Amino acid sequence: MNVTLIDSPVANVANIARALRAVNAELRVTRDAAAIASAQKLVLPGVGSFGAAMSWLIETRIDDAIRNAVANGASLLGICVGHQLLFDASHEMGTTRGLGLLRGEVHQFEGPLPVPQIGWNRVRGGQAILPVRTGKIACPPLFDGVDDDTAFYFVNSYAARGVESEIASAEYNGSFTAAVQQGRVFGVQFHPEKSSRAGLRVLRNFVEWN
Amino acid sequence: MELIPSLDLLNGRVVRLTHGDFSTAKVYGDAEEVLDALDVPRGARLHVVDLEASRSGHPVETDIVRRLAQRDLIVQVGGGIRSLDDARRWLDCGAGRVVVGTAAATSLLDALVEAFGPERIVPAIDVRDGVVRTEGWLRESPVTMREIFARVESLAIPEALVTDISKDGALRGPSFALYRQLRRATRVKIIASGGISQTSDVVSLARLGNMSGCVIGKALLEKRVDLNEARARLAAADSVPERVIPCLDVRDGRVVKGVSFENIRDAGDPVECAMRYEDEGADELVILDINGTRSSIDTVRRVAESIFIPLTVGGGIRSVEDFRDTLRAGADRVAINTAALRRPELIAECSAEFGVQAVVLSCDAKGGLATVRGGKEVTDVDAIEWCRRAEQLGAGEILLTSVDRDGTNSGFDLELLRAATSVLKIGVIASGGAGSLDHFRDAIEAGGARAVLAASLFHDRVLTVGDVKHHLEAEGIPIRRVIRSEARNPPA
Repeated sequence: MNVTLIDSPVANVANIARALRAVNAELRVTRDAAAIASAQKLVLPGVGSFGAAMSWLIETRIDDAIRNAVANGASLLGICVGHQLLFDASHEMGTTRGLGLLRGEVHQFEGPLPVPQIGWNRVRGGQAILPVRTGKIACPPLFDGVDDDTAFYFVNSYAARGVESEIASAEYNGSFTAAVQQGRVFGVQFHPEKSSRAGLRVLRNFVEWN
Repeated sequence: MELIPSLDLLNGRVVRLTHGDFSTAKVYGDAEEVLDALDVPRGARLHVVDLEASRSGHPVETDIVRRLAQRDLIVQVGGGIRSLDDARRWLDCGAGRVVVGTAAATSLLDALVEAFGPERIVPAIDVRDGVVRTEGWLRESPVTMREIFARVESLAIPEALVTDISKDGALRGPSFALYRQLRRATRVKIIASGGISQTSDVVSLARLGNMSGCVIGKALLEKRVDLNEARARLAAADSVPERVIPCLDVRDGRVVKGVSFENIRDAGDPVECAMRYEDEGADELVILDINGTRSSIDTVRRVAESIFIPLTVGGGIRSVEDFRDTLRAGADRVAINTAALRRPELIAECSAEFGVQAVVLSCDAKGGLATVRGGKEVTDVDAIEWCRRAEQLGAGEILLTSVDRDGTNSGFDLELLRAATSVLKIGVIASGGAGSLDHFRDAIEAGGARAVLAASLFHDRVLTVGDVKHHLEAEGIPIRRVIRSEARNPPA
């Protein structure tokens, strides 16, 4: 399956590329806005600062390219800060507008547990399609073959909370959004490329999803 | 599990005695003011001990208890309750429950339950070395623990307060072994008391599964435990898995292992080891270049390309540039030791440049002091103070190795671990001394570590990573389960 990985300088592109190849994605890694606009399956990575990542998307016009691709029926997976960029805005160092593909905003963790969250955390079936595991209700395709309560690897100081597109959540200083899906737009707050088999399974589910 | 703040009252004030000696009373202030400062939520349970009553045998601090009971708190009162009338007086003051110590070993317990119901009676059982003690800890009870619990069960009393006297007020941690033993011995839920001195103790008690509450006294008054933080940690007690981390000590492209950093021998190919460990369920991998020359950067690259779990790399990192190169080679986090001890600002510089999550301080402790150059050179820097400093400078986690224990298989240094975990907010990886399955449990449960690391035990296949995770899970410690469905392709 062909996958276009957006070659953001504000991301760990090499690791995600390696993980996508491990699940048999035929990968194109690119910064070309035209190629991104015409892609069928897009992955938007990101680490570090939301503002820096969004600025780069705007400067390169890749923000519009992503919106056009999605409008034309492409599927999209945002990873970590790439996931956060899908929302309306983030409140990291002031308020920065995001891609606005999903409703909701990204806030800093507040509470007694140390920030950033660094490490594995169990992910639970969320609000949109409940719950992940039971066969009775449709399982979110991203989590096909992944048990409820499976742990994924997180490194984040900011997260969305209780957004309408949430399909999985986790607990850290309260509940936060671990994964989202709305139509063909997916996002995961965790790092699937560092989450061993469970992470690879999520990537494979996205790569093979129609 | 309920967090139950404990106030010992004497002459209308909150005090703490040392070894039950009234002349040692340390005064913390007016009961209600102390309570306000603790930020106890509405509806919570409060444990109150009337010390004068325990001495004289008659309720004394009834006015205070009456005021506390009006505060939307469930107050349980103890101290010298030796008759139905004593208990009735406390209950008339608004106490929700009465705690009976000495009486628990007598027929008075039956009478109390008959008069007030089993839910309002909390038997308090003091234990030292597995033997029940009564009358202010002075006397060995003629009744065994088994007999007392049989009685408590037959009276349908739901919970009992169990104090390991040798631990009380010592702030060295509660008696996990005793409570674990009780889990097998009785259906009665236990309120733990004694020795609770850091937040991880609360989490570890909750994980035992048979605890209905834990009483925290001195640790709250001395601000070693913060109720809000403890509640947050409790809420995440089962959701954040604790980690098992194999360590590859690497030299000249091979995994090697020695005892106390000496007598080095070959232990295999790094990539083969790394992939095997990920398959076994390793949550993270550590590579330490034991030459400290960064000659293993190519090994780092090869390992990073063959695994899909976080990789921490240390050994010979002397500058921000070294740090960056190591991240570029595929490390997710970089451990620094010698260079940071010589120039602590390196921690702050790397943290600012790459983020706090990327910075691990590796502290090799010997006799409580930090060492450099792989444990060969002992500094005059206190290891725990150094860890605190590193946290302030921006380290995201501490890899704490006991050089004394390294390679001895005699268990992690729990005292060193507690000294670190009691003062740090960031996580501590326990390293040095793993020899048995229980050692791993103890490092997390009693030591407060958020991850356990071992090398030769795994390399020599004495234990697998899976064995350790299985054991931790069986002991109530959450771990990351490995999903079996995803067979992965070999690296290109």
